[in-house]
Amino acid sequence: MADAASAKLKDLLSPVRKRLQVSGLLATLSSLLWIGQAAFVATLIGGLLQPETTQLTIAHCVLGFAALGALRILLDTAAGRMGFNAADKVVSAVRARLARYEAMRSPQAAGTDSSAALAALLAEKLDSLRVYVTRYQPAQIRVSIVPFIILGFAFWHSWAVALILLVAGPLIPVFMILVGMAARSASEKQMQEIGSLNSLLMERLSAAVDIRLLGAVDRSAQGFETAADTLRKQTMRVLSIAFLSSTVLELFSAIGVAMVAVYVGFTLLGEVGFGSYASSLSVYEGVFLLLLAPDYFQPLRDLAAAWHDKADAVAVAGELAEREAQPHLPILGTGARVAVDLKGVPVAWQGLSFSYDEAGRVRYPDAQVGAGQSLAIVGASGIGKSTLLALLAGLIRAEEGAILIGQEELAPENADRLRSNMEWLGQAPHFLAESVRRNLTLACPSGAKPDIVKALQSAKAQGVIDRLPDGVQTRLGETGAGVSGGEARRLLLTRVFLSGAGVVLADEPTADLDPETARQVCEGLMALQKRGATLIVATHDLELAQRMDQQLVLEGQDA
Amino acid sequence: MRDVLTIFGIIVRQEKRPFLTGLLLAYIVLLAGVALLGISGWFITATGAAGLVGIGIQFDVFRPSAAIRFLALGRTAARYGERMLTHDATLKSLTVLRLRLLDAISRLPFARLVQYRGGELLNRVTADVDALDGISLRLIVPLIAAALTYLTAFAALYLFVAPIVAWFTLGTFFAGTLGTLAVAMKVARAPSERIERAHQSLRLRFIDLFRSKTDLIVTGNLQYQLEKADRADLRLRSNQRHVDTIEQGVGVALGLTSLFAASMALALGADLAVAGTISAAQAALGFFAALALNETMAPLRRSVTEYGRMQSAARRVTRLLDEGGKQAVALSQALPETQAEHDAPTIPLRFEAVSYRTAQNGRQILHNLSFAVSSGERVSLSGPSGGGKSTVLNLAAGLLMPDEGRIDVMGRSLGSYEERDLRAALGFLPQRSMLMHGSILEALCFANPTVDEDEAWQVLEAVALDSVIRQRGGLESMLGEAGLGLSGGEKRRLALARVLVRHPRLILLDEPTEGLDRTTAQHVLNGVQHYLPNSAILVASHRQVEQNWAQKDIRII
Repeated sequence: MADAASAKLKDLLSPVRKRLQVSGLLATLSSLLWIGQAAFVATLIGGLLQPETTQLTIAHCVLGFAALGALRILLDTAAGRMGFNAADKVVSAVRARLARYEAMRSPQAAGTDSSAALAALLAEKLDSLRVYVTRYQPAQIRVSIVPFIILGFAFWHSWAVALILLVAGPLIPVFMILVGMAARSASEKQMQEIGSLNSLLMERLSAAVDIRLLGAVDRSAQGFETAADTLRKQTMRVLSIAFLSSTVLELFSAIGVAMVAVYVGFTLLGEVGFGSYASSLSVYEGVFLLLLAPDYFQPLRDLAAAWHDKADAVAVAGELAEREAQPHLPILGTGARVAVDLKGVPVAWQGLSFSYDEAGRVRYPDAQVGAGQSLAIVGASGIGKSTLLALLAGLIRAEEGAILIGQEELAPENADRLRSNMEWLGQAPHFLAESVRRNLTLACPSGAKPDIVKALQSAKAQGVIDRLPDGVQTRLGETGAGVSGGEARRLLLTRVFLSGAGVVLADEPTADLDPETARQVCEGLMALQKRGATLIVATHDLELAQRMDQQLVLEGQDA
Repeated sequence: MRDVLTIFGIIVRQEKRPFLTGLLLAYIVLLAGVALLGISGWFITATGAAGLVGIGIQFDVFRPSAAIRFLALGRTAARYGERMLTHDATLKSLTVLRLRLLDAISRLPFARLVQYRGGELLNRVTADVDALDGISLRLIVPLIAAALTYLTAFAALYLFVAPIVAWFTLGTFFAGTLGTLAVAMKVARAPSERIERAHQSLRLRFIDLFRSKTDLIVTGNLQYQLEKADRADLRLRSNQRHVDTIEQGVGVALGLTSLFAASMALALGADLAVAGTISAAQAALGFFAALALNETMAPLRRSVTEYGRMQSAARRVTRLLDEGGKQAVALSQALPETQAEHDAPTIPLRFEAVSYRTAQNGRQILHNLSFAVSSGERVSLSGPSGGGKSTVLNLAAGLLMPDEGRIDVMGRSLGSYEERDLRAALGFLPQRSMLMHGSILEALCFANPTVDEDEAWQVLEAVALDSVIRQRGGLESMLGEAGLGLSGGEKRRLALARVLVRHPRLILLDEPTEGLDRTTAQHVLNGVQHYLPNSAILVASHRQVEQNWAQKDIRII
């Protein structure tokens, strides 16, 4: 799984690989310019003690140091901007592609995961790729170049200093491998712990009404505190291992610098005679080597600091790979709107069969519904009534058989057009986080001037609107006002009236309603038929079924 | 900034010690870094000078080299301590903030509470708390530690190098850092708030896309919804670009600050050394220290962009905390209007000429409603949905206040109750209830801590849940989040058991057998009656089985 995730991550970045390489190289170049800056400083300080060793004045050296520094800032900015552009391109492309891929997945085969989780992945989690691209990638390129060049310079002047760096440097990756493994599981664990603290809070918040009604506010707070405290202790135990990795890096880097300083100092005093080539180190060389030492370790430390970014990105890539590995049953067509004549047309099907898996194949009896006629599909729960409606609406593709709507056979090419003359009255509606008006006119042809008042009357839904704080301007959905199940059903019925669709598919339109509302919905459906619409209703409400012109009984069958 | 400081105050008050220790360690880490590089530079230059004039033997190498080694090790240890401490403190502050938030939210009016059930708002609140955890440790501690380090470095350079070097170097650091941060935080605020809003609308659009997918497909709006998400993405990206530009600008400004400071330290030090005012080693000390001060800047750069997010999160969280606080005040002020009891205490619930209009649009729901429920009596409320049955229960439970009329519970006016006493007097099962993660016994003990196993089985038997629970493994069997693992009807019955196990003398039930088949419904209703034979029961219902069970029916239209 981890390999699949890493492979996926690599794949996601492939369109911007070039750009990332350039960005990384610019950052590398900037790091290398430090060697020049160090040389200027060393020349200056060396010149203070041994003026005869250099022709450069103080002003030359300071200006050189400053100019190279300014150039570094420029290069870093350019590298950062390129990284941002690359990240922007990657994230946006992945988002658009995933959104379309998931949108085309049939709602009948949506899988087990929640819409909220998918929305969170698309809207927020994908952005963790951004940090990975801008921080981890350049650090990786720098770490593969900068330390080696600095080591080369050190070796040129003093093999002892090079040896110090060489010993302290490669030990870091060795330790990193050991501690990195611990750190990785620790960071995963930490994310889980924080996540469970969050879900604990979410749970208490969403149960706030119950907690108060049960007089358990104090008990609840105490329980939360205890749980949070336990989580904290566990997390800290794990984190204490994780922090070893960065501490090891710090330690070697600090000891490396200290050893270089002490060695150089002793050599300059003449107390140490080994490690350099000619007679002894000059002051210039001493200062130069000291300045290089911290930057030998810096890329390694940057890479370690970006470790979490990589772990996050790999996790996201893993989630993407997992999604793509799931079977993908697409809808027919694209779900776009096409302008068509709205009128009742005949609907018929022949030899239709469908199965979600091998065991449960359903073969549907053939049926014909004339234009403006009505049909009830009845049968026990789970027998496949809703699936039949979904097949008719092109929400999922039939395995065998043909569906005729009007004179045309339903196919991916004409599904959008045929659906434009169709409306759907669902069982568990979810309103868009928009105004009631927008939700009601969703199915109206663009440019039409819908008569909302009349439709509300036809659907007996005027009362629902009256109860809402801002009438038809009230916002519905996640962040808006709520409506009860019966009210929602009547609003949906209004939408069907407004659409003027010639074919109406209704999935259990009276389930979970009180008798009064159920009767109103039933009347509404009959009114739609009277207007000329072809009506197909899946239901186990016998009263409703009997009012239809025909009934189609689905019975259990063996595959 | 005020809101950020308010949150900071809440966090620090709870954890002064870790905060101060963390601050101290962060300061030591920075200072040790400056000292390490500064002394190393001084040491090399000084030894070089000594070696050149041939007095190497007299040079005291041991103290400086010991100091260098000590700083290297000490710094590492301080860093480890700081990491541990700050993370521990961060986790603690998360708990503190969340507890405060829980407390505030549990004080909100019920109407608002019900609103908060919508997942999105909750999402936002939790995300806000996440954004705030870093206020002390990623924003304020680095800022103070940096300032302290600057002051110490100033003193050191002033004493050991030269006043002019100290003034120029640290003056540059102070002015550059503060100026950059002040400007950047101001400029970054609007776009980083817009980023957050764009994220929010992006998520909402995707939630709509997936939840309403069937409707969007059939009405031909799926592509349109995708385009709407694309537009939100575009908005998000353009603001992210804006913030990135600011961040790059901050990087340039801070980079120039430290470059300028180091160059000045180098030039001034060299000048003074040439003039003979200070030694070359002192000049090196000044330059190397200035170079090491660079380290103070890295966390600041990051805090700039985090600040915008923190600020808007802090504003929302403090507003919520305030709202909860005000509500508490309002409740206690409402208390003194206690009225003398004029009813026999045997009447558990009495409505007298109660009228109610919705707060939203003033629509009249109840008009002049009077009735009473006595002990051991079962009364049902019937009528069309939306007619006001639930409103009657909400009024009786004290979740809504009547516009006119009077409601007495156990012979006392509803307004005279303290929340705790009212909850002890009555039990209310609303239409929707939430179960929580934990065992069955925990769920019941949550409602009534004195429940033992016998009692638990009795109440489960009353709601016809005993055999289900036995099959699942008894009272210790665990439920998932929101009662995951039980069916809808089983959850409903466990919620009912939670209400009953408190032995309330007045029970308000809103469609208690919703989702149960007829036989089970009958069984449950009889169980309730037998479990609490002396309680008054008011049930809102549209089911025949419930209405038949009641002795009296009140029709609400």
